[in-house]
Amino acid sequence: MNHWYNRNIHVVLVLVAILVVGSLAGGCGKKPEAETDPTIETTLPAETVPAQPTPEPTVPEVTAPDYAAMDPADYGIGDVFFGFDEYTLSTEAMGILSRNARILREAGVTVLVSGHCDERGTVEYNLALGEKRAKAVKDYLVSLGVAAGNVRVTSYGESKPFATGSTEQAWAQNRRAHFERP
Amino acid sequence: MTPMTRLVPMILLVLAAVPAAAQRSSEVVIDHTKVAWEKTPILVGLPDVLSGGMPAVQAADLLQAVVLNDLKLSGLFLPALRDVQGDSLNYQYAIEGTVEGALRDAGQTGEDAPTTVSLNLVTWPERQLLLNKRYRPLPSQLRTSAHHFADQVIEMLTGEPGICLTRIAFSRGAGDRRDLWVVDFDGEGLMRLTGNRTLNLCPAWSPDGTTIAFTSYRDGRQGLYGLDTSNGKVRSIIELEGLNLGADWHPSGKELVLSLSHSGNPEIYRIKPDGTIVKRLTVSDAIEISPSWSPGGRDIVFTSDRTGTPQLYIFDGDGAGRRRLTFEGRYNDSAVWSPNGERIAYATREGNHTQIVVMKATGESRRVLTDGTWRNAEDPSWAPDGRHLVFASDRTGVFNLYVCDVDEGTIRRLTSGNDPDITPAWSR
Repeated sequence: MNHWYNRNIHVVLVLVAILVVGSLAGGCGKKPEAETDPTIETTLPAETVPAQPTPEPTVPEVTAPDYAAMDPADYGIGDVFFGFDEYTLSTEAMGILSRNARILREAGVTVLVSGHCDERGTVEYNLALGEKRAKAVKDYLVSLGVAAGNVRVTSYGESKPFATGSTEQAWAQNRRAHFERP
Repeated sequence: MTPMTRLVPMILLVLAAVPAAAQRSSEVVIDHTKVAWEKTPILVGLPDVLSGGMPAVQAADLLQAVVLNDLKLSGLFLPALRDVQGDSLNYQYAIEGTVEGALRDAGQTGEDAPTTVSLNLVTWPERQLLLNKRYRPLPSQLRTSAHHFADQVIEMLTGEPGICLTRIAFSRGAGDRRDLWVVDFDGEGLMRLTGNRTLNLCPAWSPDGTTIAFTSYRDGRQGLYGLDTSNGKVRSIIELEGLNLGADWHPSGKELVLSLSHSGNPEIYRIKPDGTIVKRLTVSDAIEISPSWSPGGRDIVFTSDRTGTPQLYIFDGDGAGRRRLTFEGRYNDSAVWSPNGERIAYATREGNHTQIVVMKATGESRRVLTDGTWRNAEDPSWAPDGRHLVFASDRTGVFNLYVCDVDEGTIRRLTSGNDPDITPAWSR
């Protein structure tokens, strides 16, 4: 839970920074009150935004964050993990993807889902397994209303592990579908 | 100099070091079937140096060492240095020769000066001439001349073509940067073929050796490419959405079979070398990958996990007559058909590791080549002699390539280094 809290803080800080920079660059004479800026609420999914009372909109036009230039993790997108030799989605993975779907629908951004495997097994089968994992994620996101054209898939198999070592923990970390900037 | 441009002179050197008149002899002096314990003893003499000073002396040393090592690695001979063994009567054959160095006043110096090499195969101790070959190699071409002569000896005495001029292409690197490399069958001549800072995997030699098809992310997504081995140039073969993976050339060289997933699922397809799809061979929700043609070009062995675990299947080139080949083990993949069609090698999972298996193409006589001391052993590829098999293993902690003499059961290390070497492919 601590991790999730930190990520939320991180998301808010990033958006605040973008708003401030965007406003200044726009030559806006009035210093915006970023903390109460209503665009924060409209551009973030409801459940990841700290509950704040909405004041009357004083700065209605501020450039939206450039999601396409951001790492999906920085706007709240989470990776999903798979069982050994499996490419079906667990209920936990579906929960993460439901949240991801809401964010992606709102942001309208294109993401790349890369499939990964643990080191066990052959290079070729793992590339195919990674593809199936990424494809399962895409199909689920599309079923939740995300535009199919906004989700690209690729597979790296066992080539780009997130954790090194031949332990159950490392293997579990490496059996994933990872969201990245295309 | 980039790797691409360096490839060009290397290939040309290989061609120049083989005499134009070189052609396979159809005459077989002794007609016998080799079994593992039946090797031909042969003496390998040091070629006489007629002129040329130290460069010629060193050339003679190198020729003797390379020919001796080639005959040993073939698995068919018991070679011995003649100066060590003396004139033993145990030997039926001997190799002799001469080396003449370049004349300095010919205006040629150092690396530019070819030596004149003459190598003979004779009966022993009668010294009846069976084979003579003459070469004019530059110093950098001496190994190739020796390999060529060793191949001639092997073919004449066994009736089987040698593999001394073959090479192994493979993928070397870590993480998302792996390049194609190539190495001679004896572990020498290591050379990098690609340098595009992405993943380059799964090379496959065309039957005539002019093209290496491989899977690469060089354009930001996975595609199948062809590398021209005469000039190092790379062209796109097919780049569809998803996998473009695991190609194998038809023995005619006019088609490839591979796995594509643009339909939404990895399926087996036949394509032409220009990327045109000839035929889709599988339709299912399962993973279908890793196809390999039978040497006659009629059947295909491939992997499917339609039963829930990856297993080997065979069907014909039209996808008809599918039958399951493996029933043992919960994970079988990477099947490759031996050049004479009698055997299939593949990778199987035992516990948390992968091992190499060889069996008859009928599925009988299954034999695991690598035991538990090998950690993982993956991606087998046959040598053209159907006797040797290259594979990747991380037994030292990092993946390197190893060569197994399948008939003898012996294994030698081919590459070393700190970057993993994977997906080897033996040239035809």
